[in-house]
Amino acid sequence: MGNSESGLLTGKDAGLVLCLECNKVLQYEEPEEGCLLLCPRCGAEVHFRKPDSIARTWALVVTAVVLYFPANMLPMMRVDFMGSPDYSTIMDGIIYFFKEGYYFVGSVILTASILVPVFKIIGIILILCSIHFRWKRWLRHKTSMLKFIEFIGRWSMLDVFVIALLGVLVNFGFFTSIQAADAATYFTGVVIFTMLAAINFDSRLLWDAAD
Amino acid sequence: MEDTVDPDKVILCPACDLLLEKVSAAPDQSVICPRCATKLYAPRNNSLNRTLALTITGLILFAPANLLPLLTMEAIGIEDSGSIVESFLGLYEKGYYFVAVMVMLTSLVIPLIKLGLLLNVTLCLRLRRYPEWLPWAFRTYLNLDEWGMLEVYMIGILVTIIKMYHMAHIHYDLGFYCFIGLLISTLGSSAAMDEHHFWEMMETRPLPENDPGAELKRAGMHG
Repeated sequence: MGNSESGLLTGKDAGLVLCLECNKVLQYEEPEEGCLLLCPRCGAEVHFRKPDSIARTWALVVTAVVLYFPANMLPMMRVDFMGSPDYSTIMDGIIYFFKEGYYFVGSVILTASILVPVFKIIGIILILCSIHFRWKRWLRHKTSMLKFIEFIGRWSMLDVFVIALLGVLVNFGFFTSIQAADAATYFTGVVIFTMLAAINFDSRLLWDAAD
Repeated sequence: MEDTVDPDKVILCPACDLLLEKVSAAPDQSVICPRCATKLYAPRNNSLNRTLALTITGLILFAPANLLPLLTMEAIGIEDSGSIVESFLGLYEKGYYFVAVMVMLTSLVIPLIKLGLLLNVTLCLRLRRYPEWLPWAFRTYLNLDEWGMLEVYMIGILVTIIKMYHMAHIHYDLGFYCFIGLLISTLGSSAAMDEHHFWEMMETRPLPENDPGAELKRAGMHG
Protein backbone atom coordinates (compact mmCIF):
# COMPACT_ATOMS: atom_id res chain seq x y z
CA MET A 1 0.00 0.00 0.00
CA GLY A 2 1.03 3.61 -0.40
CA ASN A 3 2.52 5.63 -3.14
CA SER A 4 6.14 4.71 -2.66
CA GLU A 5 7.41 6.18 -5.93
CA SER A 6 6.53 9.76 -5.09
CA GLY A 7 6.49 9.48 -1.29
CA LEU A 8 3.12 11.20 -1.22
CA LEU A 9 0.35 9.92 1.00
CA THR A 10 -3.25 9.90 -0.17
CA GLY A 11 -6.51 9.66 1.74
CA LYS A 12 -6.83 6.11 0.45
CA ASP A 13 -3.50 5.14 2.02
CA ALA A 14 -4.43 6.70 5.37
CA GLY A 15 -7.92 5.20 5.48
CA LEU A 16 -9.54 8.61 5.19
CA VAL A 17 -12.32 9.75 2.90
CA LEU A 18 -13.54 13.20 1.90
CA CYS A 19 -17.21 14.21 1.96
CA LEU A 20 -17.49 15.79 -1.48
CA GLU A 21 -20.46 17.93 -0.40
CA CYS A 22 -18.94 19.75 2.58
CA ASN A 23 -15.23 18.81 2.34
CA LYS A 24 -15.09 17.17 5.76
CA VAL A 25 -12.41 14.52 6.20
CA LEU A 26 -13.76 11.28 7.71
CA GLN A 27 -12.29 8.02 8.89
CA TYR A 28 -13.38 5.51 6.26
CA GLU A 29 -15.15 2.36 7.40
CA GLU A 30 -16.70 0.01 4.91
CA PRO A 31 -20.45 0.31 5.64
CA GLU A 32 -22.37 -2.90 6.34
CA GLU A 33 -24.46 -4.44 3.58
CA GLY A 34 -27.45 -2.19 2.84
CA CYS A 35 -26.10 0.66 4.97
CA LEU A 36 -24.71 4.00 3.89
CA LEU A 37 -21.97 6.12 5.37
CA LEU A 38 -23.45 9.55 6.14
CA CYS A 39 -21.42 12.68 6.72
CA PRO A 40 -21.92 13.83 10.33
CA ARG A 41 -21.62 17.48 9.33
CA CYS A 42 -23.85 17.80 6.27
CA GLY A 43 -25.82 14.54 6.16
CA ALA A 44 -24.74 13.64 2.62
CA GLU A 45 -23.96 10.09 1.56
CA VAL A 46 -20.22 9.57 1.57
CA HIS A 47 -18.68 7.10 -0.85
CA PHE A 48 -15.07 6.11 -1.04
CA ARG A 49 -15.28 7.02 -4.75
CA LYS A 50 -18.36 8.22 -6.65
CA PRO A 51 -20.47 5.07 -7.22
CA ASP A 52 -20.25 3.42 -10.67
CA SER A 53 -18.48 6.56 -11.84
CA ILE A 54 -16.86 5.10 -14.95
CA ALA A 55 -19.93 3.19 -16.17
CA ARG A 56 -22.21 6.19 -15.65
CA THR A 57 -19.80 8.58 -17.35
CA TRP A 58 -19.46 6.23 -20.35
CA ALA A 59 -23.25 5.90 -20.64
CA LEU A 60 -23.81 9.66 -20.49
CA VAL A 61 -21.01 10.53 -22.89
CA VAL A 62 -22.17 7.92 -25.43
CA THR A 63 -25.69 9.40 -25.21
CA ALA A 64 -24.22 12.83 -25.91
CA VAL A 65 -22.30 11.49 -28.95
CA VAL A 66 -25.51 9.96 -30.36
CA LEU A 67 -27.41 13.24 -29.91
CA TYR A 68 -24.54 15.28 -31.35
CA PHE A 69 -25.26 14.19 -34.94
CA PRO A 70 -28.93 15.28 -35.22
CA ALA A 71 -28.05 18.41 -33.23
CA ASN A 72 -25.64 19.51 -35.96
CA MET A 73 -27.32 18.11 -39.06
CA LEU A 74 -30.94 19.12 -38.45
CA PRO A 75 -32.03 22.77 -38.66
CA MET A 76 -31.75 24.75 -35.43
CA MET A 77 -33.77 27.77 -36.51
CA ARG A 78 -36.60 28.58 -38.89
CA VAL A 79 -36.80 32.10 -40.33
CA ASP A 80 -39.96 33.06 -42.20
CA PHE A 81 -39.36 35.95 -44.55
CA MET A 82 -42.27 37.25 -46.66
CA GLY A 83 -44.09 33.97 -46.17
CA SER A 84 -41.31 31.63 -47.26
CA PRO A 85 -39.65 29.52 -44.56
CA ASP A 86 -35.86 29.20 -44.45
CA TYR A 87 -34.20 26.63 -42.19
CA SER A 88 -30.67 26.99 -40.90
CA THR A 89 -28.40 24.66 -38.93
CA ILE A 90 -25.97 25.79 -36.22
CA MET A 91 -23.15 25.95 -38.79
CA ASP A 92 -25.27 28.11 -41.15
CA GLY A 93 -25.79 30.60 -38.32
CA ILE A 94 -22.04 30.83 -37.71
CA ILE A 95 -21.26 31.23 -41.43
CA TYR A 96 -23.86 34.03 -41.55
CA PHE A 97 -22.01 35.98 -38.83
CA PHE A 98 -18.63 35.55 -40.54
CA LYS A 99 -20.04 36.62 -43.94
CA GLU A 100 -21.60 39.72 -42.42
CA GLY A 101 -18.27 40.63 -40.85
CA TYR A 102 -19.21 39.95 -37.23
CA TYR A 103 -16.09 37.91 -36.59
CA PHE A 104 -16.19 38.25 -32.83
CA VAL A 105 -19.80 37.05 -32.39
CA GLY A 106 -19.17 34.39 -35.01
CA SER A 107 -16.20 33.09 -33.03
CA VAL A 108 -18.15 33.18 -29.75
CA ILE A 109 -20.94 31.03 -31.21
CA LEU A 110 -18.47 28.76 -33.02
CA THR A 111 -16.69 28.18 -29.72
CA ALA A 112 -19.80 27.72 -27.59
CA SER A 113 -21.82 25.57 -29.99
CA ILE A 114 -19.31 23.52 -31.99
CA LEU A 115 -15.88 23.53 -30.35
CA VAL A 116 -16.97 23.23 -26.70
CA PRO A 117 -19.23 20.18 -27.15
CA VAL A 118 -16.59 18.40 -29.28
CA PHE A 119 -13.86 19.28 -26.81
CA LYS A 120 -15.98 18.05 -23.88
CA ILE A 121 -16.85 14.74 -25.53
CA ILE A 122 -13.30 14.03 -26.72
CA GLY A 123 -11.83 15.17 -23.39
CA ILE A 124 -14.05 12.90 -21.31
CA ILE A 125 -13.45 9.91 -23.59
CA LEU A 126 -9.70 10.54 -23.41
CA ILE A 127 -9.82 10.57 -19.62
CA LEU A 128 -11.93 7.39 -19.50
CA CYS A 129 -9.45 5.64 -21.83
CA SER A 130 -6.61 6.94 -19.71
CA ILE A 131 -8.03 5.10 -16.69
CA HIS A 132 -8.82 1.99 -18.68
CA PHE A 133 -5.33 1.70 -20.13
CA ARG A 134 -3.65 3.11 -16.97
CA TRP A 135 -1.84 5.92 -18.77
CA LYS A 136 0.25 7.51 -16.05
CA ARG A 137 1.36 10.67 -17.82
CA TRP A 138 -0.10 14.17 -17.93
CA LEU A 139 -2.21 13.53 -14.81
CA ARG A 140 -2.07 17.11 -13.70
CA HIS A 141 -3.07 18.34 -17.16
CA LYS A 142 -5.90 15.84 -17.36
CA THR A 143 -7.22 16.98 -13.97
CA SER A 144 -7.10 20.61 -15.13
CA MET A 145 -8.82 19.64 -18.37
CA LEU A 146 -11.61 17.98 -16.40
CA LYS A 147 -12.01 21.12 -14.26
CA PHE A 148 -12.15 23.15 -17.48
CA ILE A 149 -14.74 20.80 -19.00
CA GLU A 150 -16.92 21.21 -15.90
CA PHE A 151 -16.53 24.97 -16.09
CA ILE A 152 -17.32 25.47 -19.79
CA GLY A 153 -20.15 22.91 -19.99
CA ARG A 154 -22.92 25.35 -19.31
CA TRP A 155 -21.76 27.89 -21.92
CA SER A 156 -23.04 25.69 -24.73
CA MET A 157 -26.59 26.64 -23.75
CA LEU A 158 -25.84 30.01 -25.39
CA ASP A 159 -27.30 29.14 -28.78
CA VAL A 160 -30.46 27.73 -27.19
CA PHE A 161 -31.02 30.96 -25.25
CA VAL A 162 -30.45 33.03 -28.38
CA ILE A 163 -33.07 31.03 -30.30
CA ALA A 164 -35.53 31.31 -27.39
CA LEU A 165 -35.07 35.10 -27.34
CA LEU A 166 -35.20 35.57 -31.11
CA GLY A 167 -38.40 33.52 -31.19
CA VAL A 168 -40.17 35.97 -28.93
CA LEU A 169 -38.48 39.21 -30.07
CA VAL A 170 -38.64 38.74 -33.83
CA ASN A 171 -42.25 38.29 -34.70
CA PHE A 172 -43.21 40.90 -37.26
CA GLY A 173 -46.17 39.05 -38.73
CA PHE A 174 -45.93 38.27 -42.45
CA PHE A 175 -42.77 40.33 -42.90
CA THR A 176 -40.44 38.16 -40.86
CA SER A 177 -40.51 35.84 -37.86
CA ILE A 178 -38.06 33.45 -36.22
CA GLN A 179 -38.70 30.24 -34.34
CA ALA A 180 -36.81 27.21 -33.07
CA ALA A 181 -36.50 24.02 -35.13
CA ASP A 182 -35.90 20.36 -34.30
CA ALA A 183 -32.15 20.46 -33.63
CA ALA A 184 -32.80 22.64 -30.55
CA THR A 185 -34.05 19.58 -28.63
CA TYR A 186 -31.05 17.42 -29.57
CA PHE A 187 -28.61 20.22 -28.92
CA THR A 188 -30.03 20.87 -25.43
CA GLY A 189 -29.69 17.11 -24.85
CA VAL A 190 -25.99 17.20 -25.79
CA VAL A 191 -25.36 20.02 -23.31
CA ILE A 192 -27.26 18.33 -20.46
CA PHE A 193 -25.70 14.89 -20.98
CA THR A 194 -22.12 16.19 -21.26
CA MET A 195 -22.64 18.22 -18.08
CA LEU A 196 -23.99 15.13 -16.28
CA ALA A 197 -21.06 13.05 -17.59
CA ALA A 198 -18.55 15.52 -16.12
CA ILE A 199 -20.41 15.63 -12.79
CA ASN A 200 -20.54 11.84 -12.47
CA PHE A 201 -16.85 11.40 -13.16
CA ASP A 202 -14.57 11.08 -10.14
CA SER A 203 -11.17 12.52 -10.99
CA ARG A 204 -9.58 10.65 -8.06
CA LEU A 205 -9.92 7.49 -10.16
CA LEU A 206 -7.43 8.99 -12.59
CA TRP A 207 -4.85 9.26 -9.80
CA ASP A 208 -5.76 5.86 -8.31
CA ALA A 209 -5.12 4.22 -11.68
CA ALA A 210 -1.65 5.71 -11.84
CA ASP A 211 -0.57 4.44 -8.42
CA MET B 1 1.67 5.38 11.75
CA GLU B 2 -0.90 5.78 9.03
CA ASP B 3 -3.72 4.88 11.39
CA THR B 4 -2.91 7.75 13.73
CA VAL B 5 -3.82 10.55 11.31
CA ASP B 6 -6.39 12.82 12.96
CA PRO B 7 -9.10 13.57 10.37
CA ASP B 8 -9.66 17.04 11.85
CA LYS B 9 -6.05 18.12 11.33
CA VAL B 10 -5.72 17.20 7.66
CA ILE B 11 -7.44 17.95 4.36
CA LEU B 12 -7.86 15.78 1.29
CA CYS B 13 -7.76 17.12 -2.24
CA PRO B 14 -11.22 16.45 -3.80
CA ALA B 15 -9.65 15.97 -7.24
CA CYS B 16 -6.63 13.73 -6.52
CA ASP B 17 -7.12 12.49 -2.92
CA LEU B 18 -3.75 13.83 -1.74
CA LEU B 19 -3.43 14.03 2.04
CA LEU B 20 -2.36 17.46 3.20
CA GLU B 21 -1.87 19.23 6.48
CA LYS B 22 -4.61 21.77 7.22
CA VAL B 23 -3.17 25.26 6.83
CA SER B 24 -4.86 28.57 7.44
CA ALA B 25 -5.03 31.18 4.71
CA ALA B 26 -5.56 34.91 4.91
CA PRO B 27 -8.71 36.34 3.29
CA ASP B 28 -8.50 36.43 -0.51
CA GLN B 29 -5.55 34.02 -0.58
CA SER B 30 -6.10 30.56 -2.04
CA VAL B 31 -4.79 27.18 -0.95
CA ILE B 32 -3.84 25.10 -4.01
CA CYS B 33 -3.20 21.36 -4.18
CA PRO B 34 0.53 20.90 -4.93
CA ARG B 35 -0.06 17.71 -6.93
CA CYS B 36 -2.98 18.57 -9.24
CA ALA B 37 -3.34 22.37 -8.87
CA THR B 38 -6.97 22.25 -7.74
CA LYS B 39 -8.07 25.20 -5.64
CA LEU B 40 -8.80 23.77 -2.20
CA TYR B 41 -10.15 26.82 -0.42
CA ALA B 42 -10.07 30.57 -0.53
CA PRO B 43 -11.32 32.43 2.56
CA ARG B 44 -13.35 35.57 1.99
CA ASN B 45 -13.47 38.71 4.04
CA ASN B 46 -16.76 39.45 5.82
CA SER B 47 -18.31 36.68 3.76
CA LEU B 48 -21.58 36.28 5.62
CA ASN B 49 -22.71 39.92 5.52
CA ARG B 50 -21.67 40.45 1.92
CA THR B 51 -23.41 37.29 0.75
CA LEU B 52 -26.58 38.20 2.65
CA ALA B 53 -26.68 41.73 1.19
CA LEU B 54 -26.14 40.55 -2.38
CA THR B 55 -28.71 37.75 -2.02
CA ILE B 56 -31.39 40.19 -0.83
CA THR B 57 -30.55 42.54 -3.74
CA GLY B 58 -30.87 39.64 -6.16
CA LEU B 59 -34.25 38.60 -4.79
CA ILE B 60 -35.61 42.16 -5.06
CA LEU B 61 -34.54 42.36 -8.72
CA PHE B 62 -35.70 38.85 -9.55
CA ALA B 63 -39.34 39.46 -10.47
CA PRO B 64 -38.82 42.62 -12.59
CA ALA B 65 -35.81 41.07 -14.37
CA ASN B 66 -37.82 38.05 -15.46
CA LEU B 67 -41.27 39.51 -16.04
CA LEU B 68 -40.60 42.96 -17.52
CA PRO B 69 -39.75 43.21 -21.23
CA LEU B 70 -36.00 43.05 -21.91
CA LEU B 71 -35.86 44.52 -25.38
CA THR B 72 -38.20 45.96 -27.98
CA MET B 73 -37.48 45.35 -31.66
CA GLU B 74 -38.97 47.70 -34.20
CA ALA B 75 -39.09 46.99 -37.93
CA ILE B 76 -41.35 48.31 -40.71
CA GLY B 77 -43.41 50.12 -38.10
CA ILE B 78 -44.18 46.96 -36.10
CA GLU B 79 -42.91 46.69 -32.54
CA ASP B 80 -42.27 43.44 -30.72
CA SER B 81 -40.97 43.09 -27.18
CA GLY B 82 -40.29 40.11 -24.98
CA SER B 83 -39.33 39.07 -21.46
CA ILE B 84 -37.44 36.02 -20.18
CA VAL B 85 -40.65 34.29 -19.15
CA GLU B 86 -42.09 34.82 -22.64
CA SER B 87 -38.94 33.40 -24.24
CA PHE B 88 -39.59 29.90 -22.88
CA LEU B 89 -43.39 30.16 -23.10
CA GLY B 90 -42.85 30.74 -26.83
CA LEU B 91 -40.83 27.54 -27.13
CA TYR B 92 -43.49 25.65 -25.17
CA GLU B 93 -46.29 26.84 -27.45
CA LYS B 94 -44.33 25.71 -30.51
CA GLY B 95 -44.10 22.20 -29.02
CA TYR B 96 -40.41 22.22 -27.97
CA TYR B 97 -41.27 21.03 -24.47
CA PHE B 98 -37.86 19.69 -23.46
CA VAL B 99 -36.03 22.83 -24.62
CA ALA B 100 -38.67 25.06 -22.99
CA VAL B 101 -38.40 23.24 -19.66
CA MET B 102 -34.59 23.35 -19.70
CA VAL B 103 -34.55 27.08 -20.55
CA MET B 104 -37.11 27.70 -17.79
CA LEU B 105 -35.09 25.71 -15.24
CA THR B 106 -31.68 27.19 -16.06
CA SER B 107 -32.75 30.82 -16.49
CA LEU B 108 -35.52 31.17 -13.92
CA VAL B 109 -36.38 28.31 -11.55
CA ILE B 110 -32.88 27.26 -10.46
CA PRO B 111 -31.53 30.82 -10.04
CA LEU B 112 -34.60 31.59 -7.89
CA ILE B 113 -34.24 28.43 -5.77
CA LYS B 114 -30.52 29.17 -5.37
CA LEU B 115 -31.13 32.71 -4.15
CA GLY B 116 -33.91 31.52 -1.81
CA LEU B 117 -31.74 28.79 -0.28
CA LEU B 118 -28.76 31.11 0.09
CA LEU B 119 -30.96 33.71 1.82
CA ASN B 120 -32.14 31.08 4.32
CA VAL B 121 -28.62 29.80 4.94
CA THR B 122 -27.03 33.23 5.41
CA LEU B 123 -29.91 34.51 7.58
CA CYS B 124 -29.74 31.43 9.84
CA LEU B 125 -25.97 31.71 10.21
CA ARG B 126 -26.21 35.46 10.77
CA LEU B 127 -28.83 35.01 13.51
CA ARG B 128 -26.90 32.03 14.92
CA ARG B 129 -29.78 29.65 14.48
CA TYR B 130 -29.19 26.11 13.33
CA PRO B 131 -32.40 24.34 12.25
CA GLU B 132 -32.32 20.69 11.13
CA TRP B 133 -32.66 21.55 7.44
CA LEU B 134 -29.76 24.00 7.33
CA PRO B 135 -27.04 21.61 6.03
CA TRP B 136 -29.52 20.21 3.51
CA ALA B 137 -30.35 23.71 2.25
CA PHE B 138 -26.68 24.59 1.78
CA ARG B 139 -25.89 21.28 0.10
CA THR B 140 -28.78 21.74 -2.32
CA TYR B 141 -27.54 25.25 -3.09
CA LEU B 142 -24.03 23.97 -3.86
CA ASN B 143 -25.32 21.12 -6.03
CA LEU B 144 -27.53 23.45 -8.07
CA ASP B 145 -24.70 25.90 -8.60
CA GLU B 146 -23.73 25.06 -12.16
CA TRP B 147 -27.33 24.58 -13.33
CA GLY B 148 -28.22 28.24 -12.88
CA MET B 149 -27.10 29.92 -16.11
CA LEU B 150 -27.89 33.62 -15.83
CA GLU B 151 -24.50 34.72 -17.18
CA VAL B 152 -24.90 32.48 -20.23
CA TYR B 153 -28.33 34.01 -20.78
CA MET B 154 -26.78 37.49 -20.56
CA ILE B 155 -24.34 36.66 -23.37
CA GLY B 156 -27.35 35.23 -25.25
CA ILE B 157 -29.07 38.61 -24.95
CA LEU B 158 -25.95 40.36 -26.29
CA VAL B 159 -25.66 37.95 -29.24
CA THR B 160 -29.35 38.55 -30.01
CA ILE B 161 -28.78 42.32 -29.99
CA ILE B 162 -25.82 42.06 -32.38
CA LYS B 163 -27.70 39.65 -34.63
CA MET B 164 -30.68 42.00 -34.98
CA TYR B 165 -28.73 45.27 -34.95
CA HIS B 166 -28.99 46.09 -38.62
CA MET B 167 -32.41 44.51 -39.19
CA ALA B 168 -34.43 46.28 -36.54
CA HIS B 169 -34.35 49.26 -34.24
CA ILE B 170 -33.68 48.04 -30.68
CA HIS B 171 -34.93 49.68 -27.49
CA TYR B 172 -33.57 48.59 -24.12
CA ASP B 173 -36.40 48.18 -21.64
CA LEU B 174 -36.44 48.21 -17.85
CA GLY B 175 -36.22 44.40 -17.64
CA PHE B 176 -32.80 44.57 -19.36
CA TYR B 177 -31.33 46.78 -16.62
CA CYS B 178 -32.96 44.72 -13.86
CA PHE B 179 -31.50 41.58 -15.43
CA ILE B 180 -27.98 43.08 -15.39
CA GLY B 181 -28.50 43.94 -11.70
CA LEU B 182 -29.75 40.43 -10.96
CA LEU B 183 -26.75 38.92 -12.74
CA ILE B 184 -24.26 41.08 -10.84
CA SER B 185 -25.83 40.29 -7.46
CA THR B 186 -26.07 36.54 -8.19
CA LEU B 187 -22.45 36.31 -9.36
CA GLY B 188 -21.39 38.53 -6.46
CA SER B 189 -23.18 36.42 -3.88
CA SER B 190 -21.49 33.23 -5.02
CA ALA B 191 -18.11 34.99 -5.18
CA ALA B 192 -18.54 36.40 -1.66
CA MET B 193 -19.74 33.08 -0.24
CA ASP B 194 -17.06 31.25 1.74
CA GLU B 195 -18.13 27.62 1.56
CA HIS B 196 -15.64 26.32 4.13
CA HIS B 197 -16.41 29.06 6.62
CA PHE B 198 -20.16 28.37 6.31
CA TRP B 199 -19.67 24.64 6.91
CA GLU B 200 -17.42 25.32 9.87
CA MET B 201 -20.07 27.58 11.38
CA MET B 202 -22.68 24.86 10.95
CA GLU B 203 -20.40 22.41 12.71
CA THR B 204 -19.19 24.56 15.57
CA ARG B 205 -22.49 26.48 15.97
CA PRO B 206 -21.23 29.74 17.47
CA LEU B 207 -23.71 31.26 19.92
CA PRO B 208 -25.38 34.65 19.56
CA GLU B 209 -23.53 37.45 21.30
CA ASN B 210 -25.06 39.03 24.42
CA ASP B 211 -27.78 36.41 24.76
CA PRO B 212 -27.60 34.44 28.01
CA GLY B 213 -30.57 32.24 27.05
CA ALA B 214 -28.94 31.05 23.85
CA GLU B 215 -27.36 27.95 25.29
CA LEU B 216 -30.76 26.74 26.51
CA LYS B 217 -32.42 27.58 23.20
CA ARG B 218 -29.81 25.66 21.30
CA ALA B 219 -30.09 22.66 23.60
CA GLY B 220 -33.87 22.69 23.17
CA MET B 221 -33.75 22.98 19.42
CA HIS B 222 -31.64 19.91 18.92
CA GLY B 223 -32.90 17.75 21.77
